[in-house]
Amino acid sequence: MSSSNDAPLSPRSQLALSCFEELLDCAVADVASECHRIARLGLDRSVDAEEEELRVWAARAAAGGDHHHPGGSGAAEEGGAGGGSKGGVDVFGQTHPAIAADVIECMNCGRPVVAGRFAPHLEKCMGKVVTGIAFGL
Amino acid sequence: MSTPSAPPPCPHLAAHRLSSRPLRFLRRCLRVRPLGRPEIRRDPRELPRCSPCAAASPSPSPRLYACLSCAAVFCPSHAASHASASAGPGHQIAVDVDRAELFCAACGDQVYDPDFDHAVFLAQSSSLLPSTSSTSPSPAPRKRRRVDYRAWAPDPAEFALMSSADPTTSASAAAPAGLRGLNNLGNTCFMNSVLQALLHAPPLRNYFLGDRHNRFLCPRRTPVRHRAAEAEAAKVACLACDLDEIYSAAFSGERMPYSPANWWQHASNLASYEQQDAHEFFISILDHIHENIKDDQHKSHAQGHGDCCIAHRVFSGILRSDVTCTSCGFTSTTFEPCMDISLDLDVGDNTPFGVANTKPHVRNGERGLAGMNSKVSTLMRCLERFTRAERLDAEQKFFCERCDERQESLKQMSIRRLPLVSCFHIKRFEHSAVKKVSRKVDHCLQFPFSLDMAPYLSSSILRSRYGNRIFPAEASDADAVSELSSEFEIFAVITHSGKLEAGHYVTYLRLNNHWYKCDDAWVTRVEEHTVRTSQAYMLFYVQKTLYYKACERAAAV
Repeated sequence: MSSSNDAPLSPRSQLALSCFEELLDCAVADVASECHRIARLGLDRSVDAEEEELRVWAARAAAGGDHHHPGGSGAAEEGGAGGGSKGGVDVFGQTHPAIAADVIECMNCGRPVVAGRFAPHLEKCMGKVVTGIAFGL
Repeated sequence: MSTPSAPPPCPHLAAHRLSSRPLRFLRRCLRVRPLGRPEIRRDPRELPRCSPCAAASPSPSPRLYACLSCAAVFCPSHAASHASASAGPGHQIAVDVDRAELFCAACGDQVYDPDFDHAVFLAQSSSLLPSTSSTSPSPAPRKRRRVDYRAWAPDPAEFALMSSADPTTSASAAAPAGLRGLNNLGNTCFMNSVLQALLHAPPLRNYFLGDRHNRFLCPRRTPVRHRAAEAEAAKVACLACDLDEIYSAAFSGERMPYSPANWWQHASNLASYEQQDAHEFFISILDHIHENIKDDQHKSHAQGHGDCCIAHRVFSGILRSDVTCTSCGFTSTTFEPCMDISLDLDVGDNTPFGVANTKPHVRNGERGLAGMNSKVSTLMRCLERFTRAERLDAEQKFFCERCDERQESLKQMSIRRLPLVSCFHIKRFEHSAVKKVSRKVDHCLQFPFSLDMAPYLSSSILRSRYGNRIFPAEASDADAVSELSSEFEIFAVITHSGKLEAGHYVTYLRLNNHWYKCDDAWVTRVEEHTVRTSQAYMLFYVQKTLYYKACERAAAV
């Protein structure tokens, strides 16, 4: 829609162009008027808060741990309070094996089952089949 | 907060108010076009023009004002001269003929008057036919008897008693009450993550710890002596009882991880078990709690009534959906209950310019974050997208009663009533039935710890749809502002990391103003930035009034 000075615009094109410009000016004035009202009436405070949050977030994200680590932060950030989920101790000073060692009595067959294998046991016990889509291990 | 307040008037506006009739009388000069756009009434063939401009050049100005005193029309460049050159006093205030906004020619700025806005509001209300609202179920604002809030503070004796008994202030309690790991029973982290969030949802926690559902007294579980072989059939599963058992275990003070075997056995009967998706699981749990513990009086089984069961009392809110005909402005409104809000995580969509109905985002400050903005999605932007007016496809033409034919329409969602606990589900898993392919969206989401939902309420959305006019108190419409606050505090975040088929769910809990990571049996304390940079999948916010700030003091001990 550039008004080139090389070729004179036909009256029709000129009319179309001025029509477009008028519409554009109108739209810009609409937005300006709305923004002015929102700002004067104090409706835009949440936008400031959001920007501040975003700044804080960006600063923390850049300075803090890398967010590509599956499962959360590395051990460095947690300091002495507790290591990562695998290795170190938890907030109570305990450690846990990879597969829960707690023994549970199956309410279906009555046999004692290791907690970490309870779900697969129950499946076979009660005849279920799993077809997960978003598996949570 | 988010209600428009009239700024102090400029001296010219103040003088005008004293000397002339109230601006409310301008109502008869107003006309409202479709979609609620007010303007100054004029004959169909009349074209307002600025007289000084017309003499000089024929090109029209985009903005024209009409003087309130003499009705002369002029453009912004000739406004000041009209104000100073006019015969009598009081020609400073004019009105924008196309937008019905007041303008002070002497100050050269747009000004605001509650009386005038009242006139515009009345014109808009009368021009719109009463919109049909088919409600399912009807959420007409019933006057609920409420107890007035009375502040309470403990006296010294009570304070001493509380300090001695409160595990969070005693020196040995390095961790808050209710914090306990959950053993993974074999691919059950999706269940554990949801349980951890439910365990620390204040209203739900209070319900179960307050013995409102006692598993030993539950009528569904009254033990009937059968032989062992029939025991399974006789023992009816009550998920609420299982939940009660888990609350007791978590808050017992015992810190070794707990194995929720009973819960798993009953929960695995649910259809959602197949998916192993935390959100699906969460929804089906709430459904089953609803099935299990409806009100004894059988008041109302209809969902959304809010009083039927604890799950609805805590999580159920009401969404309002408005479909507006773009040709005549007729709006059809429906209400539907919702237990959570699912939000699209749109990677590429960070348009600073929205449709006119939404809050414009054009700010100079955002320039500096331009690079960041294109990569980061924020919860608030997702909510803005959710409540944005969307043009429906040409195929989905809506039948307009007023026009009596199918027309193109705009659809806009807003929140009619907020729940006590707001759960936001970020749609990270895309399932394409056509391609038979599922994929996960890894994009990071920024979310605030304190969230004000006011801009997304129906009252705010409606107000901004009609130009953010200052409503006088007595003219507020039937959509009364909710008596509950709109401020929320986050307390739990469920994250999903890894790939679609081999991922892992973890819950971050905010207790005593510290963050704890609950990774199945492993509970560790983490820093804020770990939570901020995690991949949020479900976010849990509770009404600020229910979020115990006293916890913060305990942290200082």
